[in-house]
Amino acid sequence: MNDIVVLVKASLNPDMVRVGSDGSIDLASIPLKISDIDRNAVEEAVRLKEVLGGKLYAISILTWGPVASRMKDLKLAVQEALAKGVDEAFVVADDSLTPGDQATTASAVKEVLSKEGIKPALILAGEATIDEVTSQVPGRLAALLGYQYLSFVRKLELSGGKIIAERDLEDYIEVVEADLPAVISVTQEINEPRPPTLLQIRRASRKPIKELRAGDLPGIQMPLRKILGIKGIQVTRKQVIIEGSSMEEIADKLIDALIQEGVLKI
Amino acid sequence: MKVLAVAYEEKDIPELIVGTRKFVGDSANIVLLAVHKSASSGDFNINVDKVYLAETSRPEEIVAAIVKLVNEEGVSLIVGEAYKNLRDAFSRVAGQLSMPLITDATEIKLGDDRLVVKRGFLSEKAEMIAEVPLPAAVLFLPRFVKAEGVEGGQPVVTRLEELGGDSKVRLVDVKPKEVGGANLEEAEIIVGVGRGFKSREDLEMAFELAKLLNGQVGCTRPIAADLKWLSEDHWIGISGKRVSPKIYFAIGISGSPQHMSGVQSSKIIVAINKDKSAPIFKQADYGVVADLYQFLPVFIKKLKERLG
Repeated sequence: MNDIVVLVKASLNPDMVRVGSDGSIDLASIPLKISDIDRNAVEEAVRLKEVLGGKLYAISILTWGPVASRMKDLKLAVQEALAKGVDEAFVVADDSLTPGDQATTASAVKEVLSKEGIKPALILAGEATIDEVTSQVPGRLAALLGYQYLSFVRKLELSGGKIIAERDLEDYIEVVEADLPAVISVTQEINEPRPPTLLQIRRASRKPIKELRAGDLPGIQMPLRKILGIKGIQVTRKQVIIEGSSMEEIADKLIDALIQEGVLKI
Repeated sequence: MKVLAVAYEEKDIPELIVGTRKFVGDSANIVLLAVHKSASSGDFNINVDKVYLAETSRPEEIVAAIVKLVNEEGVSLIVGEAYKNLRDAFSRVAGQLSMPLITDATEIKLGDDRLVVKRGFLSEKAEMIAEVPLPAAVLFLPRFVKAEGVEGGQPVVTRLEELGGDSKVRLVDVKPKEVGGANLEEAEIIVGVGRGFKSREDLEMAFELAKLLNGQVGCTRPIAADLKWLSEDHWIGISGKRVSPKIYFAIGISGSPQHMSGVQSSKIIVAINKDKSAPIFKQADYGVVADLYQFLPVFIKKLKERLG
């Protein structure tokens, strides 16, 4: 009961979106990468592992298929967590679960825990993942497991089996005290994640990654959401670089351009 | 069709009523749950079936109130607006009642037993249209409709007391967030500052430019969250604010998707950056490749001359 679980998502990389001339987006062509805020969750989990003294597991559920072409990115994301100090990882990848939704992800995590007999004291996750930014999975998971849920935590202390956390809520900061077990979502302010060293990366290649399919998880909730369409939003910015022989000339040209656009009145 | 509308801020009340009638239809039976500031606003002479008040902003207590009302009222749709406290509460409700939750929705359409929803995706570079079965929960982007034409009514108002909720999470302290008086949502001109500024004192130039143009100063995540040079109400982007000014000046800002998703609806974007390969120039209407320390003083001087 001293174990910690950290959730890691291989997210669609929003920096690599290409919108076709007809506004179409091919999701399968967008590479996956570890969601930025998950790095903070991993960093915090490694720190707390020293306090609790148990094992640290990472669980990753593949949301975006097809599995065959996504396994490499998924494993890279998980290997980063292993390199940072996670002991063992579980990945769930099954074409029947993609494209996934947040209900499926939360229930898959619950099923992995029960199948593997893991009863974590703490489950850590990022406050949101970079592709959909819904902040849903940790809260859903807490509800499914009957755990306490501390959302948007930007400062965390653990002593004597109690958590003291600062939550960054909508219009104020809440300091709360809670017992274990708990699900905690962290914000980027909680720490400064350090990239793993080469030695850590090399050692991580020997750590186990267990692959599971939908059939291994009998109670899993199949995706309820059906994606009907993804449309690229074409932002057609003019991309005019204003040039000139002096700063004065450039400044004048910029002012002229803004007047011309009707957004600056002089 | 019974809809539970959960209002957080006072202005959510008319918006949720107008939005629900627009998307679900005039025949929707709306039960309003007003929490946080919306609970003390006082004017509930509105065209809904019932009003419940819960004067709390704690997610644990909001969860308890929603679950109680869903069970008592037989609701098929829960709606609210995407504030952090409601993101937390709605995610737990969705988990507990195993229903789909769509966050940051801009539009919904009701089918027989399904809901079609539209939301932003991939740092607002795309839009997703998806279908989920009912019952379902939806968090709209705040200000998703204009709160106009709310009809009057005489609903029964009930106060919910002692919600309890998750008693194992004990409140130790509540601290206000530092507020610097920025009101970016209303600003017509925003001067955005990023890591290109070398010190807090140098931001004075940005404030001078903003003042000259009757605008406001906004910033990227590192300026507010890491360096704390500006309070968080200046922060624009995924975890900050979404703005839609006539001119957005991105000064010393590289143009990360997390920041740019917050300024996408600006009419004109002007980028000032000394690195000509910065991604910001591909996302701007006008770019000036120059050291901001050289360009800004000249630009301010020229503006002053021409404004008279």
